[in-house]
Formats: sequence, C-alpha cells, structure tokens
Amino acid sequence: MTTTSYVLGEFQEEAALLGAARRLRELGHARLDAHSPVPIHGAEEALGIKRSPVPLIALLGGVAGGAGGFAMQYWMNVVDYPINVAGRAMTSWPAWVPIAFETTVLLASVSIVFGLFGLAGFPRLHHPVFEVEAFRSASVAGLWISAEVEPARAEAVAEELRRLGASNVSRVDEEDR
Amino acid sequence: MSAEPAAKHLERLDPLDPVPVLVGRPSDVELDRQLFGKVGQKPGKAWYGLMTVCLALAGVLFGCLGYTVVTGIGVWGNNIPVGWAFDIINFVWWIGIGHAGTLISAILLLFQQKWRTSINRFAEAMTLFAVMQALLFPALHTGRPWFDYWLFPYPSSLALWPNFKSPLLWDVFAVNTYFLVSLLFWYVGLLPDLAALRDSARSRAARMAYGVFALGWRGSARHWQHYRIAYLLLAGLATPLVLSVHTIVSFDFAVSVLPGWHTTIFPPYFVAGAIFSGFAMVLTLVIPARKVFGFENVITGRHLENMAKVMLATGMMVSYGYLMEHFHAWYGGNHYEFDTFFKTRMFGPYAPVYWLMIACNVITPHIFWWKRARQSLVVLWVASILVNVGMWTERFIIIVTSLHRDYLPSSWAMYYPTWVDWGIYVGTLGFFGTLFLLFLRFVPAVSASEVKELRRELDHEAHAQAPAAVPHLP
Repeated sequence: MTTTSYVLGEFQEEAALLGAARRLRELGHARLDAHSPVPIHGAEEALGIKRSPVPLIALLGGVAGGAGGFAMQYWMNVVDYPINVAGRAMTSWPAWVPIAFETTVLLASVSIVFGLFGLAGFPRLHHPVFEVEAFRSASVAGLWISAEVEPARAEAVAEELRRLGASNVSRVDEEDR
Repeated sequence: MSAEPAAKHLERLDPLDPVPVLVGRPSDVELDRQLFGKVGQKPGKAWYGLMTVCLALAGVLFGCLGYTVVTGIGVWGNNIPVGWAFDIINFVWWIGIGHAGTLISAILLLFQQKWRTSINRFAEAMTLFAVMQALLFPALHTGRPWFDYWLFPYPSSLALWPNFKSPLLWDVFAVNTYFLVSLLFWYVGLLPDLAALRDSARSRAARMAYGVFALGWRGSARHWQHYRIAYLLLAGLATPLVLSVHTIVSFDFAVSVLPGWHTTIFPPYFVAGAIFSGFAMVLTLVIPARKVFGFENVITGRHLENMAKVMLATGMMVSYGYLMEHFHAWYGGNHYEFDTFFKTRMFGPYAPVYWLMIACNVITPHIFWWKRARQSLVVLWVASILVNVGMWTERFIIIVTSLHRDYLPSSWAMYYPTWVDWGIYVGTLGFFGTLFLLFLRFVPAVSASEVKELRRELDHEAHAQAPAAVPHLP
C-alpha cells in the first residue's frame, strides 16, 4: 500500500526554487526539501528549517571529552594506581592538560561528525528521491525541490510545481514496508 | 571607450590582484567533467611508472620493518647515548609535513582565504598519508611493537595504567587524535563530491562504491545546513589541535634537561617549522600533479605564489627560532648550552649537516622576495625540495647533536645510521607516494563542490564591484 508520495521538480534559478518553496508552504505543505550541489542561500528560511543542533552536540561532546579526560587521568594515576613521580604532588594537574585538551578535541569532533550523520540520517543508501533518473543532476548542477505528501495530494502539488516553472516534475510513491 | 573593455583593462592593471584564484567561469557541469575526468579512469604511463617506483620503495619499507621486528631494533644505528635517531627524526619530519594540510584546510577556512579552496583536499590527503608514515616510527621504536596497545589506557590484567605525566604519552594522544580528526574532517569534506561521483558514474561498480561512501548524500537543504556548521566547527577544532600537536611533539624535547632541547622557544618554533616544511611538501606534490591533471585553471599561479609567501614568512620564523636559541645559549651563561650551540653543532663532527640546514632553511626561502621566483615553477619546485631536505636536517641536528655529546665527555659517542635506517626512511617516501597516487586515481583531488561555491562567490563579488571598477570619467 502506498503511504507517502514524493513530488520532485527541477528549477533553473535559485530564486525560482525559493519562491516555489515559499508558495508550497503557503499552500500548507510543510515537508519540503531542496536539493542542490552547493548550499542555497536562504533555503533554510524558505523551507522553514529550524536551527541546527550541531553546535550544541559539539559543546556537549567537548565538555564530556574535557571532563572525562581529566577524570580519567585523575582516577587512573591517583586513585586506582597511584604513580609517584619524584615525590611531586599526586594531583599535579598541569601535566594532565595536554591529554585533557586532546580528548576534548577528539570527543567534540567525533560528536560533530556522528551528530551530523545522525541528523542527516546517514547512512541511508536508498531514498525514494533516487528513483527519479533525472534527479542524478542534483549533486552536479541541478536545483531540485522535493515535497513529501499524502498520495491523494500528489497530483495537485505536481501541478503547482509545473505552474511555478519546474521542469522534470515527477512523482515517487513509497510503498509501506 | 565602452565600459566593458575599460573594466577588463583595469582588472589587468591591478597590481595587487594579478592572477585569479579561478581562471574563467566554468559551469558546474564543466567543473565536474574536468575535476572528475580522471577519477577512476585508466591512468597513463606516468602513473604506472611512478607507482612501480613507489611500490618498490614501499616493498623496501615493509622488508626493513619485517627485519626490524623479527631481529629487534638493534639493527638500527641508534644506541646509548644516541637513543633517538632516525626514528624520531622521521617521525617529527612526517608529522610536520602533515601540518600544512590542516593549516590550509582549517586555518585558512576560518580566515576566509579563497585560495585555499582548490588545494585543501589535496593538502588534507597529504596530511593523512604523512601522519600514517609518522605513526610507524614511534610504534616500532618501542622495540616490541606487538605490545603497543599498552600505550593506551585500557583495563588490563596487569592492573596498571599508563603514566599520564609523561610527554611521550601526551604524544600518543596528540598524534592519534590528530590522525582521527584529520580523517573525519577529510571524509566529511568529501561527501558532496562522492555523491556527485556516484551520480555521474558510468559503471554500476563505481556507482555502488562511491554510493556506499557517499552514505546517501542528497544535497538536501537539511544536509547542507548541518554540514556547513559541522565543517566550520571541525575547522575551529582542528586549528588549535594542529598547534597542540607540534607543541606536544616539541615537549618531548623541551621537557627534558638536555642541552639544546631544554628551551621554552621550542613549541612556537616547532609549529612554524612544521608549517614551513608542510607547504614545501604541498608545492613538491602539487606542481607536477596540476600539470598532469590539467588543473592549471583551478590551481593557478596565485595559489603557488601564496604558498611561496607562506614559506617565506614561516622560513623567517624558523630562522628567528634558530637565532633565539643561539642567543639564549650565549646569554644564559650555561657552558653546556653554549658548547652545544657554538661548538658541537657549528664545528663538531656533524657540522656539514648543520650548515646544510642553515643553507636550506635560512637562505633558500629568501629567494621568494622576488616575484619572478615565486612565479617560476622550476624555482618553486627546487626550493620546495631544498626546504624538505633542510627541515629533515634540522631534526637531525636537534636530536643527534644534542644526544651524542651531552654533559660527560666520557659518555660521548658518534651515531651512524645503518642500511635498515635508510631503508625505512626511503621506504616511507615510497609508501607515502603509493597512497598519494591511489588518492589521485580514485578520489577527486580538487573539491568540486567547493570550487562551485567559490565560482558563485566570485560571480557575486564581480557583480557587486562591477559599477565601482569603471572610473567615472568627466
């Protein structure tokens, strides 16, 4: 049974794509996306995309890395297996700064990358939009818009896209799995 | 005179902007065709020739590594008092080379330098492969590399933990973090290009292979939103990271009490030296590669000239480091320091290496005061090789001369590398070359998605500046 339809259309100009996105949103279609080989300025506003949580994820990863790195060194060298280096204070923390710094950077970076993967839904090797042969231009030069709609409304959206100047308008139905 | 030729005329006359960062305004499709043209295709004879040489040298490397592991590191020339020699020289040399890649990709991104765009992929690949070579040396120098996992803090049956107050352990964390973060940064940067390769691949096998690595990139506005922030933040993290890595490498020396090592100038001076040698290596590699691939319109004379300027600047920072080291040795009034700098290094048994270092690192970069030298491919390439040699001799001088004559004359001894030392060093050059040639064949060496963005930015700028560029004549 068909559950969701994707309606795709290609535009020649960024401005036309952004205008079409705004128009479709006015008509009440919220699940829109744009596809382009380089980021389109203003796409987030036109599509109503919220702020990215990546900076927050990076901050949490960095704090965890820094605190964890410090705690690891303290626990290992002072609590669990005390190492006396030439009679110096056990908790001579300046010597732990380099490693705590490295774990901060490491955890922050790993959180950023896997946060990006999680937010973008990677890896997802197949996606309904890939069913459209012409969509292959989206990573090269093409500017595409995709709308995720109920099957009943798909034809209306396709018509609207054509009216807004889209070419290669096509529809992909996702079967229920 | 109409407005159009007047603008062109002025553009040519602008002394501050002689060569563009992108020649012409190729369309997206043209850029992909050019930049991906040779990716995954059957390479030419030159590639096979170079690959044969590099593979042969890599064979020497793995032969020597096998011999070292089976026999023990007694097959190397280092022994007390020179306990560190080729292994640490090569480690520091390779790590330093890697640093230019991060500088180009991260620091120049934060400074919004447009000329970084077409060389960053290339330089980052160089970083990864250089760090791989670097990691081999300390791993082997432990003597029993099959126990190297002891370096990491893991709950072992021995019930003990590493000593985190040791600079050598700081190194383990710094270099491994550096490698992992560089790899992630490079891979994230590749995603849009991998998707473009997937979508323009002709064979099913290529489409599958690039498709798997592209992870399902659809160029969606949501992807781009997260991606741009992620990339910028990674650059922001890689910037202090790269400075920390060579700082920590320099701590291996500076934290000890040996004359010639025990100095606070080491961290900045090591970082400057790393960037100096790294830019030299980028030039060594990029000058032939852009010719073979026909990338002269995206990696233009401007890029080469800017790299020469960076080498001139960092070369002078390195020279200043040398000067200050010598000044402190004299002004500090410590006999051992004075003897190390003014007797052992300058006139001791390794003096020819010292003077070669001075010639390569202090004198060579000054050729780049001349514009004609910065614009000559031959001069650039030869100078880049000399700087690579010079930076290797610098590490030789720092490590070997300080160790072979320290405090007690009774413990002085000479160091000579063995054929195994040379085999491993030359072998890493071959292994590095092998990886680099594979990279050139299977991965787009210039980031197409970033050049597309650059072209849009340049278009935008030209649009904004066009009316102002034509003088208003009464």
